[in-house]
Amino acid sequence: MSVPSSTAPSGLREALREGFRLIGTFIRNGPVSYALAAGGAALFAAAIVAAAFVIGDVTDSLILPVLDEGVSSEGLLWPAIAAVVGVATWKAAGITLRRTAAGWLQFRAQTDARIGLIDRLLRTELRWYHRQSVGDLLSVTETDAREATFILAPLPYATGATLLLIGTVVMIFVLDPIIALVTLGSLGSIIAVDIRGSWSSFEAFQDVQRLRGNVSQVGHESFDGALTVKALGREAVETRRFEAASEELRDRIIDVNRVFSTYRVIVEAMLSAVAVLVLIVGAFRTRAGAVTPGDLVTVAYLLTLLFIPIRIVGFVVWDMSHALAGWRRVQRIHESAELVAYGGLDHRGDPTGAEVAGEAVAFTYGGDEVILDGVELIIPPGQVVAVVGPTGAGKTTLVTLLARLWDPTSGQITLDGRDLRDFARSALPGEVAFVAQDAFLFDDSVAGNIRFGTDASQTDVDQAAALAGATSFIDELPDGYGTQLGERGTSLSGGQRQRVALARALVRRPRLLIMDDATSAVDPSVETQILKGLRDAELPSTVVIVAYRRSSIMLADEVIFLDEGRIVGHGTHAELMATTPGYAQILEAYEVDAVRRAEENSQP
Amino acid sequence: MTARSQELTTTAALRRLLVEAPPMRRGLIVTLLLAALGTGTQIIVPVVVQQIVDYELLDPAGVDVAGAVRRGLVALVMMFAAVFVRRASLLRLVTAASTGLSELRVKTFRHLHQLSILHVESERRGVLVARVTSDPASIQDFMDWGGVGMVIGAAQVLLAMAVMLIYGWQLAVMVFVGVLIYAVLLAWFQRILQRAHDQVRLRIAESLATMGEAISGLPVVRAYGAESATLDKVEAVLEEQFRAEFKTGRLGAFLFSSAELFAGLITAVVILVGVVAGGGWGMSAGTLLAFLFLVTLLVEPVQTLVETLDQAQSAAAGVRRILNVLDEAIDVPDPVDGVVLPDERLDLEFEGVRFRYPTGDDVLHDISVRVRAGSRIAVVGETGSGKSTFVKLATRLLDPTAGEVRLGDVPLTRVTFDSLRDHVIFVPQEGFLFDTTIADNVRYGKPGATAAEVQAAFEQLELGDWLAGLPDGLRTRVGERGGQLSAGERQLVALVRAWIADPELLILDEATSAVDPALEVRLRRAIEHLTEHRTSITVAHRLSTAEASDEVLVFDGGRIVERGSHHDLADSGGVYAALHADWMSSTG
Repeated sequence: MSVPSSTAPSGLREALREGFRLIGTFIRNGPVSYALAAGGAALFAAAIVAAAFVIGDVTDSLILPVLDEGVSSEGLLWPAIAAVVGVATWKAAGITLRRTAAGWLQFRAQTDARIGLIDRLLRTELRWYHRQSVGDLLSVTETDAREATFILAPLPYATGATLLLIGTVVMIFVLDPIIALVTLGSLGSIIAVDIRGSWSSFEAFQDVQRLRGNVSQVGHESFDGALTVKALGREAVETRRFEAASEELRDRIIDVNRVFSTYRVIVEAMLSAVAVLVLIVGAFRTRAGAVTPGDLVTVAYLLTLLFIPIRIVGFVVWDMSHALAGWRRVQRIHESAELVAYGGLDHRGDPTGAEVAGEAVAFTYGGDEVILDGVELIIPPGQVVAVVGPTGAGKTTLVTLLARLWDPTSGQITLDGRDLRDFARSALPGEVAFVAQDAFLFDDSVAGNIRFGTDASQTDVDQAAALAGATSFIDELPDGYGTQLGERGTSLSGGQRQRVALARALVRRPRLLIMDDATSAVDPSVETQILKGLRDAELPSTVVIVAYRRSSIMLADEVIFLDEGRIVGHGTHAELMATTPGYAQILEAYEVDAVRRAEENSQP
Repeated sequence: MTARSQELTTTAALRRLLVEAPPMRRGLIVTLLLAALGTGTQIIVPVVVQQIVDYELLDPAGVDVAGAVRRGLVALVMMFAAVFVRRASLLRLVTAASTGLSELRVKTFRHLHQLSILHVESERRGVLVARVTSDPASIQDFMDWGGVGMVIGAAQVLLAMAVMLIYGWQLAVMVFVGVLIYAVLLAWFQRILQRAHDQVRLRIAESLATMGEAISGLPVVRAYGAESATLDKVEAVLEEQFRAEFKTGRLGAFLFSSAELFAGLITAVVILVGVVAGGGWGMSAGTLLAFLFLVTLLVEPVQTLVETLDQAQSAAAGVRRILNVLDEAIDVPDPVDGVVLPDERLDLEFEGVRFRYPTGDDVLHDISVRVRAGSRIAVVGETGSGKSTFVKLATRLLDPTAGEVRLGDVPLTRVTFDSLRDHVIFVPQEGFLFDTTIADNVRYGKPGATAAEVQAAFEQLELGDWLAGLPDGLRTRVGERGGQLSAGERQLVALVRAWIADPELLILDEATSAVDPALEVRLRRAIEHLTEHRTSITVAHRLSTAEASDEVLVFDGGRIVERGSHHDLADSGGVYAALHADWMSSTG
């Protein structure tokens, strides 16, 4: 779970300042739709003022004369009706224009923010990527990109509301300056209270978000461990744990609403009170002959119409705080993600295996811990090499560097004498194929997964699948190669996924094939067959495998033995067995254990 | 899942929700009355306008300022009194909703843990978590905003209409007819908007899946240089989503503005009829003006409805999904008046046991086998041979479709859960650890175990030096799902957890993942200690485990096809001999 609170603005002043900057950015990106939306809002605002005038006018020229003084309505009626309907149509048109254009503005900004993020992520250093949690990256593109653009929904309305407020006050000034001053003062205090209330609720709401994350974390963990929970009979304990998280969330939600509803009712009551206040003051002004009853009705009506528009100001502050928190997380990715630098070398596609060499290669994750140090190696074209070593020796790091998924901290790795970093962006995948232990498949057909970005023919796909030992189970799938695999390929077993992933690498006929424990979930006998097949096939490839099974290791031409980030042995299996004690130890761990057990058993 | 609740109408789902979450309906009437009363504030303004205009401003004796002030002050006092009523009603609504939802969430959580789907259909876990996280959240969002808005809006419409009736029934009836016609149109149009929202939701799901793939599959995308193809795919689904969202926004804009048009038309009719016929009905100018103000109160609730329709739909869908879970019967129930097993090692017997998952064919056919107290059994067989189902039946994680599993002659279905979990411990293949310390994870096997006991358990399993090698020893945090430890190390902790629980019967599903040979030795020795002096059944993936057992049960196609000692079976030329040859070749 991410910790969103750190990116939220820390004070109201700061939120307002940064919020306006953010709004400025969005407006610059969509000036036309913003102008249309704000225009619609202004149209609507003008219509509201017009509506109030119409009602005032209808009161003075039609309703009062007819109902109070008994004047005939002849000739007065239809213009009044036309004005009322006309003003309503005007209002509706303003609303339609505003909401339509604001929708475009908001959804466009959201789409663009997401595309921008994905584009950025696709170009970042994997080294940076691996320091992030995938869940966080997902939540930034999904949730934060959406929330950052939420502000755009009420923004044009708020622009219109501001115009409306100014218009109202100006209009009332024209009618009567005293009433106008009373209105101005009242509306000003209402807005101040509303903004303060929105900000306080927002701050409390941050906590609710955090607690929601907490509930979800407990839920996820408990369900993931369901088998363990059940096997140990701990359902009740888990329920209590979840209940505690859930009740904490409940209490916080109630707290937030206590703040929120207090401000809400106060602001609403203040709005109603202003209308009454204006009437009272208006009574004095009417007696003084400064205004007519019709003027007063106009002002009172206008104030009731302001009810919703004025509240939008508070919403904008809320949405702005929300948007800022999201926007900062989006920006943090843009600012921190380090981009991969590429050279200009093209891929040559020679029909032979590549010669791989490492020169003084070192790697650290940035901390004190040295993962690889002083690695020197040369792998001749076409050789099959196994990388062996205890956990944490740096095996995966080494092969990751060979595929240029990461770059070494110092030293260089070359392919046929050419530094990996000098290859153009699209060139390297034509030379090197990397197969990871975790076989990530896409929600596509089997054939689509194997092709993945190439235009390989069905014959090529068939051959690759056969080499990967995948033909038999693919044939048994309901639609064969056309079978859709579902999200992450979950409809296949682990071993089957690994074989599809291997076929995906083989179909490219890579000049360097790297397998990082890529057949770990495949049955041992099948794995041996696959590796034998790879060795015997006329592949134009040099092969580097990280292997844990003795049978796999023994199929390699040579073995690189890594320990604590250094190469401590490089030679054939037999040579290493003879010269490198650590190597022998690893492979003989089973035998050692068996001997020890036998000795213990023989003792009385 | 039953399809029953899926078909519930929105109102039926809402009624069930009130039944399942009692706090939601507690005091609901009072809350609604308070909401209605509080909404009365809105009515004060039109009424005061009418009264001040009629009595003070148009007073034949001249403008009565003192009277206007008096009336205004009374109105102000009423408004501020209403503040408290409104706040109370809002808070009561939210408190009832949050409390009810929290209870519902916990209830659903408990129910899910009692079902076997969590471990049988593990791929659906992610979806099921949503039943206790995002579904209640969508209901909460609706309750906090739309739900409250709708309740208040409805109260506002009703009150406005009631006041209209008092001012003049003829005009009021006309307004009602207008509202009715509009309501019918609204209901029809709302269905179109609803379908548009459904489309948007589909598109969102699609683009989330595609973006998720692009991000989690990034290393693969990079390794195969598929960046631009991936970006194209993401752009395509996002543009689809954009089009669906924009279209829905446009429909919403139309519906939203229609409320203004409707109010305008009603206002026109009110003026028309009021002016022409009002005098005849004894209607004053102030009354007609009050009508005009009251009509504006009808606009906001409609617009609230448009704004919250999407939320309401999501909430209703969430309610239905939660009800689906609650309607699922508990498939492996704790027996009423169950038997408590004696504290000694007992024979485990399967008699004529068959098993099938609801959706498939028989996984086990007619299994009859007796495991003697104190023996070490190894279970072997290929993936899908039925061996995992066999051990799940032995631990009563599942109940047989036919036949019976007995422990010391007591059917497992008759043994209380507490007694059964005391007696039988199952250690699954993946050593699942919780995001806490090593010590707390071990204590999961024996709540209340002291640090010394936990330490001793590690020593007894010869893992003291491994523990000492950790940065904080027992207090080392293992991270999310034990991610700070390797798969083999997680398995180690799971073994210690089983050891401290000290069961009479231990059932162990050996891990298949490759571990470091040094760790492999540790695991092997820990398992040896763990299986000493108790009955054990191990699903074996390693030759040495089978070799060390008293008896091997060989599963194939849902049956036990061979049984006997390792040596006898290895030479028999059967299924086991073939497996054995496979093992030999891989360990060289």
